[in-house]
Amino acid sequence: MRGTSLGGFVLRVAAWLPLAFLVWYLAGPLFAFPIGLLTNGAARLAFADIVQSVEQQGHLITIVSTLKATLATTENPAGGVVSVELNALLYSFGFPMLVALTLAARQAHVLRNLLLGYVVLAPFVTWGLVAEFLKRVTFDIAPAAAAQAGFGPLQREAIAFAYQFGALILPTVAPAVYWVLTHRRFLEGFAAGDVAAEKPSQ
Amino acid sequence: MVRFFLGFLLLQAVLFGAELTPWAQRWFVLPWTDSLAAISADLVKLFDPGVIAEGKVLQSANNGFAVSIEAGCNGVEATIVLVAAMLAFPATWTRKLVGLAVGVIAVQGLNVIRVISLFYLGQWNQEAFEFAHQYVWQALIMLDVLIVWLLWVRTLPRTVTSPARA
Repeated sequence: MRGTSLGGFVLRVAAWLPLAFLVWYLAGPLFAFPIGLLTNGAARLAFADIVQSVEQQGHLITIVSTLKATLATTENPAGGVVSVELNALLYSFGFPMLVALTLAARQAHVLRNLLLGYVVLAPFVTWGLVAEFLKRVTFDIAPAAAAQAGFGPLQREAIAFAYQFGALILPTVAPAVYWVLTHRRFLEGFAAGDVAAEKPSQ
Repeated sequence: MVRFFLGFLLLQAVLFGAELTPWAQRWFVLPWTDSLAAISADLVKLFDPGVIAEGKVLQSANNGFAVSIEAGCNGVEATIVLVAAMLAFPATWTRKLVGLAVGVIAVQGLNVIRVISLFYLGQWNQEAFEFAHQYVWQALIMLDVLIVWLLWVRTLPRTVTSPARA
């Protein structure tokens, strides 16, 4: 197996990562578009009673709720409804990491793995976005407005956990797990690389 | 492989859930974060004496700029991922404990570099700070976890290192 030296692999990841981040950031609106559609579907399907519409502008996704804003603010004038602006990049920075890892591994079917990776990871990004929306309309707005959502104590705990898990764990762990699953032979090669390196001195 | 991933996901969810409890926050996460700020400040003072750490805040006495180390930046979640990955992988307890000891130091070592680099990046350029803070360093820390785990897997006897057999 080619390129199973860990040092070489790490150097290749380090080389690909800046380029992957650059492309991901510049093409943010393009990558975020399907995620916006998915968020629209998920939010309106699962939380139809509190979600009025989902709008997208580049990598920013705004979920307009049905909750009446009780206090007039710049974002929510009196009589208006609460809307939450979300940054899709905050939950999708695992994509460039996955790209760098996949390209550095130099295995077959790179494009297929990356496209499939996007499809697999997009729901996790959506999870993060919807969970942040729920967290903000539950904990970050005026209690009178939040009460309209009607979430009970257990649901509030579940929202807090879903948000933390979606923000702190999923964005990086999901791509790493996907990469490990799609590069099992490559990983086995690391152990083989050790053996090969020891042979000349034996 | 399936057993490893199920164990990994379960352990991770349990450890992460435990981390979020008020008890763990008070007795583990906050002291951990305060220590991280103190260690970062001690290291920075070697070349920049005008830096102070107060609780989880690292502050420049020269210009007042400060960074507060919050959840996601204290390396606790990265450590949880590493712990779950090592505990779920088939290996002897001795190897797991040695791997965890070395691995946690490696992850936290890079995390100290993250805190210090963000501290100076923020004083230089706010946009660069935000980009590095919100996106780049998060990915780098997880890459660190992954590489540490790969290195550890590589040290295991071959009979148990094959993920296909795990």
